Order: sequence, then structure tokens, then C-alpha cells
Amino acid sequence: MQNNNPLSPHLQVYKWQISSLLSITHRIVGVINFIAITIICFWSVSLLLGQTSYQFIQTFLNSIFGKFLVISLCWTFSFHILNEVRHLFWDAGYGFDLKIAKITGVITLFGSFVLTILFYILGRHIF
Amino acid sequence: MAQFNLPQNSKIEVGNYFKDKTNSKNIKKVNVYRWDPSTGKNPRVDTFEVDMNNCGPKVLDILIKIKNEIDPSLTFRRSCAHGVCGSCAMNIDGINGLACIKSHTDITGDLNVYPLPHLKVVKDLIGDLTTLYKQYESIQPWLKVDQTGEEKIELKQSQKDREKLDGYYECILCACCSTSCPSYWWNGDKYLGPAVLLQAYRWINDSRDGDKKERLKKVADELKLYRCHTIMNCTNSCPKGLNPAKAIGSIKKMLATS
Repeated sequence: MQNNNPLSPHLQVYKWQISSLLSITHRIVGVINFIAITIICFWSVSLLLGQTSYQFIQTFLNSIFGKFLVISLCWTFSFHILNEVRHLFWDAGYGFDLKIAKITGVITLFGSFVLTILFYILGRHIF
Repeated sequence: MAQFNLPQNSKIEVGNYFKDKTNSKNIKKVNVYRWDPSTGKNPRVDTFEVDMNNCGPKVLDILIKIKNEIDPSLTFRRSCAHGVCGSCAMNIDGINGLACIKSHTDITGDLNVYPLPHLKVVKDLIGDLTTLYKQYESIQPWLKVDQTGEEKIELKQSQKDREKLDGYYECILCACCSTSCPSYWWNGDKYLGPAVLLQAYRWINDSRDGDKKERLKKVADELKLYRCHTIMNCTNSCPKGLNPAKAIGSIKKMLATS
């Protein structure tokens, strides 16, 4: 086949399905979580630097942007956990049926928001 | 790294507009991807106004009507027109399917018809499936037995074993699933894709086949098999209602447990 033949459109025309949307979100969220965990590790280490650095981060996290960041991270982690459970079931050979896959997809999406609220409220009351 | 944009020579331009000449009141606008290798121009999308009062119910009927009555240069593959041969697989309204069994009444608004995604276009709605057929050949889709052929013994299969092939033997290799898979778009040269893997599973799963272990070993490859991330576009698009994602999952499970 000559190389000057055009490539037919792909991402440009293909309709999003709930399954493909969750799949790509899972990947993006995975990268975000990886970075977030690294930052959280540095944060824990920074506690060694003493009270001032702790207070600095404390005030940052209590600002509007900080809160937005924390809630977003609650969501990324909740989503990743729930979708990973879905993947675990797939690996065990269950849930491939188109209808079931769609239902579990919707549950994952809504569940992630519920879990986010739970995480946030629990976190606020415990710590 | 995957290239998400279309290359320069594949950018789609605005094409011709074919106005309805029949003065029909029941008009559907049909946007069709066109590319003519003889002109050296970029692909374009032509719009046809089709009189739906005198047209069959399926998307293929519309395409044939356009070819017969409006523009005879429109090129597409078709053969059986009953969803058995898999020739008229194309991207209809954003999802891959067979034009002959897809009803245009399911689609509201304009009808968009493109060739199967991420293939080299041969002309208009025809994509080049050479790679897919080569990959299909690579899984050796035939029964392999120890017999020399001299014995002339019938290969028997119990009803139960035969039922294990249900949902796999029906595949017509229309390539709707493979060309709907983003993983196959980015790694089509190495990843086998849902259609070929479903076929691979069909032969692995055949009780009469004597080469199961070898087949599994061959397919167990980071790129050939594990590029499947269960995106499930394949199952969503299969016009025969089969489940390639499940077949691939079953191969993965077999490899993990054997």
C-alpha cells in the first residue's frame, strides 16, 4: 500500500462509550494518583522540618484552592479504587456481558462521587 | 507514542453538496467520507440530500440509492446485504457496524458515514485490511491434529464441547471490533486486536484441536495480547452481538491459571 493514502479518521469520529470513557479516565487518574502519592510522601517527610513548615502546608490545604485539591484527590482515589475492583472482576472472568459492564460502569462513576463525599466527611471528623 | 491527530494528507475538507432534485418533503442529509486516489487531493466529506420516501430502511440502501441516482463514483464494499458476509462494515454515526443491518431510523439527525477507523483508505469507504488478514493468518486458524491423514478417523466432538464454541464461531471477520479499539489504533502493527484474538480463542477452545498449549504460548505476549485494557469498544460495536472482550479475558485467565 502506497504511503500517500490517507488514514481514516478515528478519535475524530468515534463516539464515546461509557466503557471507553471510564477506561481513559482510569489511566489519567492513575497518573495523577502516582504524582499525588509522591507529593504526600514528601509532605510527610517535610514534617521533620518542624512546626513552621507544617503550619504552612496546613494553611495552604485549608485555603479554597487547597480544599479543591484535597476533594479532587479524594475523587481520583475513589474512582481508581472502584474501577480497579471492576478490573479485578474482569480478570476473574466475570462482568464481561455488555449490559453488566455498562451497569458496573455507571455504578463506578456514581459510587466514586459518593465515596468522595464519605472520604471527605470522615477525614474531616477524624483528623 | 500514539499519534492522536490525523496526518496532514488525511485532514478532512469540506466536500460537495448534492441538493435533492425530487422535491421530496422527507429528506435525510447523508454525510459521506470521500477520497479518490486519482486526484491527489485530501479526503473530503460530501453531503447528499436523499429522498427517504423512495428508499429502503437500511444504511446500505441509502448508499446504494446515492450510487444509483446521485453519484455513481461513490465506492464501498457490499455483498450479501443480510449481515452475514461482513463486507459493508463501516463507521456509521460514530460507531462501527454493518451498513446492511443498521437501520437509518435508529439515527436521529444527519447520517454520518466514514470508513472503518484508523485504516489506510483505498477509496471512499474502503479501508485496507491487509495487516488484519496477516495477523489472522499468524494464529493459524485451522484444526491442528497429530493425525497424518492416512488414518481417516472422524474427529468427534461431544455436544457439550461443541457448545463451548458458541459465541465465537459466529464471527464473520468484518473487522468492526478491531478497528473500534483504541489500543489497536495505536499498536495495530503488533497488537493482534479483538477480532483475531477472538478467533485465537475459538481455536484454543476447540476440543478437537491438538495444539492448545502451543497456541496459548504463541499468543502470550506483552504486545500481542496484553495491549487489551478492556476498553470494550469491541463488544459495543460487534454487529453479531459477540463478545471479543470476554474471549480475550478468557485467554488471559487461561494463561494465568495454567
